[in-house]
Amino acid sequence: MPIPTLTQSVVITLIQCLLVVIFVFVVVPLTVFAERKVLGHIQQRLGSTRVASGHIGVTGWMNRGMWKWGRIPILSYWRGIPGLVADVLKLILKEDIIPAKADKFVFFIAPAISMVSAVVVFAAISFVPGTFFTFPTWFPYLGGLPVSGGIADINVGLLWILGVASVGVYGIVLAGWASNSKYPLLGGLRSAAQMVSYEVPLAMSLLAPVVLTGSLNFGDMSARMATGLPAWGLAPQILGFLIYLTCGFAETNRLPFDMPEAENELVAGFHTEYSGMKFGFFYLAEYINMTVVSALAAGFFLGGPWLLPFGLQGLLNPYLPSLLSWFGQPHAIFFVAKIIFLLFTYIWVRGTIPRYRYDQVMSVAWKYLIPMALFNLLLAALVRCFAV
Amino acid sequence: MEHLLETIGRNLFAIFGVMALGSAAFMVASRSAVHSVLGFLFTMLCIAGCFLALEAEFLGMAQILVYAGGIVVLFLFVVMLVEMSKKSGAQVFQLQSRYAVAAVLIGAALFVGVFRKVIFGAASAEALVLRPGLAQGLDVAKQNAQAVSRGLFADYLLPFEILSVILLVALVGAVVLAKTERV
Amino acid sequence: MNKILRTLIPFDIAKGLAITGKHFAKVFFTANRRKVRYHIVSEYPEVVAKIQPRFRGRLTLLKDEQGEIKCVCCLACEKICPTQVITIEKGKKEGRKMPFPVRYDFEMERCIFCEFCVESCGFDSIILNHQFELAAYNREDFSLGMEGLGQNMFEPSPVGKFSVADD
Repeated sequence: MPIPTLTQSVVITLIQCLLVVIFVFVVVPLTVFAERKVLGHIQQRLGSTRVASGHIGVTGWMNRGMWKWGRIPILSYWRGIPGLVADVLKLILKEDIIPAKADKFVFFIAPAISMVSAVVVFAAISFVPGTFFTFPTWFPYLGGLPVSGGIADINVGLLWILGVASVGVYGIVLAGWASNSKYPLLGGLRSAAQMVSYEVPLAMSLLAPVVLTGSLNFGDMSARMATGLPAWGLAPQILGFLIYLTCGFAETNRLPFDMPEAENELVAGFHTEYSGMKFGFFYLAEYINMTVVSALAAGFFLGGPWLLPFGLQGLLNPYLPSLLSWFGQPHAIFFVAKIIFLLFTYIWVRGTIPRYRYDQVMSVAWKYLIPMALFNLLLAALVRCFAV
Repeated sequence: MEHLLETIGRNLFAIFGVMALGSAAFMVASRSAVHSVLGFLFTMLCIAGCFLALEAEFLGMAQILVYAGGIVVLFLFVVMLVEMSKKSGAQVFQLQSRYAVAAVLIGAALFVGVFRKVIFGAASAEALVLRPGLAQGLDVAKQNAQAVSRGLFADYLLPFEILSVILLVALVGAVVLAKTERV
Repeated sequence: MNKILRTLIPFDIAKGLAITGKHFAKVFFTANRRKVRYHIVSEYPEVVAKIQPRFRGRLTLLKDEQGEIKCVCCLACEKICPTQVITIEKGKKEGRKMPFPVRYDFEMERCIFCEFCVESCGFDSIILNHQFELAAYNREDFSLGMEGLGQNMFEPSPVGKFSVADD
């Protein structure tokens, strides 16, 4: 295994960043599409079916033929997909309005803070332990060099994730303030209060894995949580998962906790005055945050790149026949599949539970989630004391 | 290329330090309170960068988590709620300038008092490193979260607890100041 | 105790999730099927829209078996119309005892489709048909008459590609 020079390792890191950005920008539009479809299906509708490929081009020709024939077209289900392209084009091409009385600098920088803090979190997330792939030897400049499964394998990865995610609240608060308008300010204040309070149980629910594994490195933690725990390490994991997921919903401002942009109370909340690509940044940041929260839940509680969730993999592995040993190994595809399932859960919950009132949101955080998270931490400490 | 990257890597501390000083100057100089808070936020992030450049990862992350993520948000909250525009500019802090000078003097004296050994060269920085008994079985350079926790909860437990009392004093002081203003 | 357990363990949320999940799965796996479908929306422009029997569409003058206009110009509809969109001009016609509407103007742009006119009609000579694609490019297209400049009140509106022809 050749040792890369400094320049080579920088180039490899850049390539990893590119891969992560590609992953994010593939997953996010698909989530937006899935949101329309899944919400539609939950309400016994079909979701978006209305753009392009059902009407123009080869697929349109096929579809029209099938309608004439009296059949529902095969491509029917996917007809909404070009709508994503239309959406993105609309966001990019729309006029970017800045209110006359707005604080221009802060107004400009707020969506950037949201977006950056959402994307940068991925630096500490490792998709698969060890080497992700190795460049083939014929590859120019980087031939034979390994690419690891995460960008930065730092020892305090969890703290990095929590810290950078907590910087994301500035985007929303500053956007609300800089718009110089009533509803955005109210939305910004609400969301600041909500996000700061939910950070407490969120961090506490993540402390249980820290206690169980004795590490702060994302890769180490997911490996230990998936394979290194005894059978009754399950209890703090499941409870912690539920608490974490609830806080994650609140932290990403999704229903049932979407206080910052409660449509029927605050028009559109903190981004009422935003348009064009600045609004697009907030929109993207929300979905990227969802992906991040899903990635953390998948990594810490659902077994990360291993197949089975909640540490069951470690119990199963000794009995796994050698024929099926592929399922005992970590694979990035399991991780991505879990992320996608959790993103689906986001939409599922959105379609099921109505929004909480503001005081209810706060009481859920302070009266229920924090004591439960503390209890969970106690359980984890007991498991750590007597079983690990 | 290689040389350039190496130079940048070796001077990361200086780069972050200059950036921190610059944004701190912006914080003091800017007229808008929210801009000041933004400058403060950037200062905090740059200080975290300084810690990272010194390979004190845990401290850097704690800096981001506690200051950038928690305390500055509260500052922002207060600044947004308090109407600053009515008393504009330099008028605001003029009354307290005498106290400010006194505070700076006391602070400087305390700083010199605490770090006198380091400043006047009687002890090197190694005095602050974990003692070998505690560092047993730890790779301090790699696991500095564990090293910090061992130090905090063994040798420095009393100063750590006293710090929380000092924070309490600050809180009580803030309440007192707010009360006198209202009457 | 029961209440505490219900608070701690999210039974109700799980029940709700099960219901919505069931709906999702049903629609997801049968969306492209023709016969057994669980989604309750029709794909309207491609598929002819299903209209409820009591739907109130555009006003239409009816004719009897001989092809004669049934309206006898009692002006009940004109009087009761809250937005005054109906204008009738009474006249005579050879070989007909009852009065005959020389002009029956209907200005659809102001019509609120309340169906008072139909209810007030003692001769069942007007109905609101099932036509719902009433968009037009010009204002003039909304002023309907028996014939002439405006559209004919006996014919379905020419606007709208997917009109339902069989009322």
